[in-house]
Amino acid sequence: MRMHNISSLKQEFLKKWAMGLQTYRASKKDMSIWERKKAIKLSADIAMASTRTANSYWSRALIYNSSKNHCNKVPVEHVLGSESECLVKASTQLVMNNKRVRSKKILKRSCSVRRMKKILAVPQVGLASSIAKRLVKKRTQVLKSLLPGGEFMDEFSLIKETLDYIVSLRVQVDVMQQLADATDRLNRSKVINKE
Amino acid sequence: MEPTEGSQVRSASCGAKYEDIGVESLQFGEEINLLMSIQPPETGSSFTALLELPSNQAMQLLDSPETNVAPATLSGYQIEHPKTYMPIFPSDTALIDRACKFSVFATTENSPETSSIPLNSRSKSDKVKQEPVDLDSNPNSSPAVSDSMVLKQDEKSSAKRKEREKKGKESNKKSKNVANENSQDGEKLPYVHVRARRGQATDSHSLAERARREKINARMKLLQELVPGCNKISGTAMVLDEIINHVQSLQRQVELLSMRLAAVNPRTDFNLDSLLAVEGGSVMDSNSPLVVMPSMWQEGQINGNRQQYQQLWHFDGLQQPVWVREEDNNNFTAENSLLSYDSSANSALLLPNQLKMEI
Repeated sequence: MRMHNISSLKQEFLKKWAMGLQTYRASKKDMSIWERKKAIKLSADIAMASTRTANSYWSRALIYNSSKNHCNKVPVEHVLGSESECLVKASTQLVMNNKRVRSKKILKRSCSVRRMKKILAVPQVGLASSIAKRLVKKRTQVLKSLLPGGEFMDEFSLIKETLDYIVSLRVQVDVMQQLADATDRLNRSKVINKE
Repeated sequence: MEPTEGSQVRSASCGAKYEDIGVESLQFGEEINLLMSIQPPETGSSFTALLELPSNQAMQLLDSPETNVAPATLSGYQIEHPKTYMPIFPSDTALIDRACKFSVFATTENSPETSSIPLNSRSKSDKVKQEPVDLDSNPNSSPAVSDSMVLKQDEKSSAKRKEREKKGKESNKKSKNVANENSQDGEKLPYVHVRARRGQATDSHSLAERARREKINARMKLLQELVPGCNKISGTAMVLDEIINHVQSLQRQVELLSMRLAAVNPRTDFNLDSLLAVEGGSVMDSNSPLVVMPSMWQEGQINGNRQQYQQLWHFDGLQQPVWVREEDNNNFTAENSLLSYDSSANSALLLPNQLKMEI
């Protein structure tokens, strides 16, 4: 049941997030607020992705994207721990494969589309359906752009990945929210104590 | 938490919906029951379970294909690709293979629907005729599996038909464009036998497209259950809209929260380089006993002050917090100070985290 998994997901996420944040220990003083924010977000994202790598494609795409940026290397490796090497490699492979496959498909489709257009001179039956189709198509494009690694997925797996992604995002938001609330509370009480 | 409450509300409405549909008479209800009995009891009883926790079951459905290709319903059977057993359609096995993925969901998801299927008179002849053929075939396990799957597919199709009729045949046309993209599913699944509906093309392509379409619709339903507020909406485009909004809002929330956390002033004495309490279990599950809540203590010295933070977790008295102490005297950064996490046990219950600071 996912419900039980969610609590363990949260724990795992928090642990990994902390690990990622630790890598910034040394440079803490020098970071501006923006850098801090980026660091926090990056660690959180990678932590989230690493909890779901076995089951989902978006997580691997996320890891791949982050590892492309060289300055992200340290926290990535730290969070992923021992498996970081193979994980990053696997993610890269996967994304590259999909890119290759995808571009081939696009190429093939563009060739066949021209052929089909000559054959199917018949106009579309029903204006409504074509409008609906276009709408759906547009939405899927948007969704693909939202999802990490989404551009290479077909519609079917897109939906599955979206489901997974939404759940993970929720977990992430919950944990971060609680942390933020807790620190606020602490801050407030601390201030009160001081006075 | 809002998701649980929301899902229960949704399940209530779903239950009402199912009861409405179930008023229709079942033409071959006995055959269905027969086949249901073949199934492991899990799916039979999953009707109520499914209703109660739709999103959870949805998640489980998602998980099950990955972890275990054979879903729970088929676990008892040895699955061999029934290559010799293809009842009606000599269609392109590769296409149908890909469409098979749907059958995994169809079997488990349909069990609630089987008991309340509205049957169209049109389909009756098709299905009833099929019934004896299926049942009389080899008593092997694999045909039994494919029997059930055929039936599940039928029931699913008939259930879907009700929605489909409103859209007419246009929905099939809609699938044509989408189906042009070849989907390569890595999973091997038993064949699904797609039935041609009356008045619709029976060539392999449209069959596969239809199967694929139904697959996609099934998953869209799962998504609808997950995203709050999607249940009322009909139409793929609107639902996708909602989903997109939801994802965007979640992503924005992450950004905001990370900004907020970054804004915590690292200079204050508030430097909790002490503890990382990892406690997520109680948030979602206040009723079920929490297993282990690992929390890591960190003791360090700051400015000569010994700051020790204790957390008292008041649960339902069901479990005891487990403290894991890490001996590490490094000073942590502000980021780690953020992780002095004493979150409330259950935001719904609002058990206040009791933080005692000894200075």
